[in-house]
Amino acid sequence: MARSRKICAFQRVLQRSPTMLLLVACLVCLAPPASALEVPKLQGRVNDYAGMMSPETISGLEAELRNFEATDSTQIVVLTIPSLQGEGLEGFSIRVAEAWKIGQKVKDNGVIFLVSKEERKMRIEVGRGLEGRLTDLMAGRIINLVVKPRFKRGDFNGGFTAGIHAIMDGTRGEFKAEDNQKTSGKHAPSEFFSFLIFAMVFILVVSNISRIFGAVAGAAGLPLLVSSFFSVGGLGLIILGALGLVSGLVLPLLFSSAGSFRRGGTSWPGGGFYGGGFGSGGGFSGSDFGGSSDFGGGGGDFGGGGASGDW
Amino acid sequence: MKKLLYSIAVILLLSASGCGYNTIQANEEAVKAAWGDVESSYQRRSDLIPNLVEVVKGYAKHESETLQAVTEARAKVGSMQVTKDVLNNPQAFQQFQEAQGSLSSALSRLMVVVEQYPDLKANQNFQDLQNQLEGTENRINVARTRYNKAVEIFNTSIRIFPNNLTNKLLLHLSLKEPFKAEAGAEKAPKVQF
Repeated sequence: MARSRKICAFQRVLQRSPTMLLLVACLVCLAPPASALEVPKLQGRVNDYAGMMSPETISGLEAELRNFEATDSTQIVVLTIPSLQGEGLEGFSIRVAEAWKIGQKVKDNGVIFLVSKEERKMRIEVGRGLEGRLTDLMAGRIINLVVKPRFKRGDFNGGFTAGIHAIMDGTRGEFKAEDNQKTSGKHAPSEFFSFLIFAMVFILVVSNISRIFGAVAGAAGLPLLVSSFFSVGGLGLIILGALGLVSGLVLPLLFSSAGSFRRGGTSWPGGGFYGGGFGSGGGFSGSDFGGSSDFGGGGGDFGGGGASGDW
Repeated sequence: MKKLLYSIAVILLLSASGCGYNTIQANEEAVKAAWGDVESSYQRRSDLIPNLVEVVKGYAKHESETLQAVTEARAKVGSMQVTKDVLNNPQAFQQFQEAQGSLSSALSRLMVVVEQYPDLKANQNFQDLQNQLEGTENRINVARTRYNKAVEIFNTSIRIFPNNLTNKLLLHLSLKEPFKAEAGAEKAPKVQF
């Protein structure tokens, strides 16, 4: 009783004051939109979230796909989900592709075979590098002629196995595995040098406050900078630290003798640090996956190629 | 004292991750790259249409009107001079989007009409083309979404401080137009077998 009166009072306030109404409307708008279907975690090459395959089929396909990747470097991944929960198949598929990054970087040789059980829909999402071999047409034929008839009979194990075999046959030979696919430590040297120049300017400014600060900044900064681009051992770090210390002491002397810094006013040395090499600093993260023991995408790119179908 | 102030000012300036000059440049390049994908996937669709029209013609002679609409819309798209300039010209961008949109709707009309011809639907050639068309429409969708994302990042990067000053003083770049969803164009023509 008391509660309903309270609600009535609230309504009265709303009716009386349009500002209040607006506020409530704003709050309603702020509420987060209905959450889109989340991309499931990449567990391995066969991700059977809908429970459509027998354990033997899963382990068999896992082994085949691992061997295939070892010889051809092409990554093929299966995902089954119980339901799309109202989301479009293609939209979800490309989100999975963007999240998992199946396929090797640059080669873009990944394939995702997605099946949604409830909607009875499936899609083969093809990475950019394989679009030439596994065309939309080919993917469509695999779905319609190889997988669909088996799924219609309820033979999911057979459908997945045959479908994956067809995809492997379609992509075989397009790429070859390389012995060593490590790409770490190959950041653009230009990036390193722009950081180096920036660090020099920084040291100049700092040592202008105090000679000791500059030396410390040099001693700490140089090993840090170098080790973030190249792999350096313990001894190397010590040598670099000493080098940085010396340069932190000497660098400001060089410039002060040139006199450009002491001239009053706002003349900065060189003036060349306008935007020195920041901005592009985001390029460190997660570029290297390949070669590790547990499975993960290699950074492959997808452009929406492939085909969809149902059964 | 004065020197100390200057030093602090410079450190603050530099630690605010520069003036965004490089970021803006990189983001603009990303927009251009994304635009390249949009263009090429639209081009791919245009290339498919003559074959499609040819196959449909053989079976559906009574649908010459629909076929003509598709051909005309394609011709209009083809006649447009698409340059990189489109990105900086909202009007040209609008025209591009309209032309592609009318081609989209002409195509989806054709696909609906085709439903009445079982012989045509059974034709292997036609099924292949349908597959390719669906794939292409999906690529267009993906490319458009990515372009919009790139534009969003670029637009944000020239509006936030201190990048807006850099842009105003040095680069003079304007905001770029994203694709807007239009009725019927955002969806690939749904084709049932």
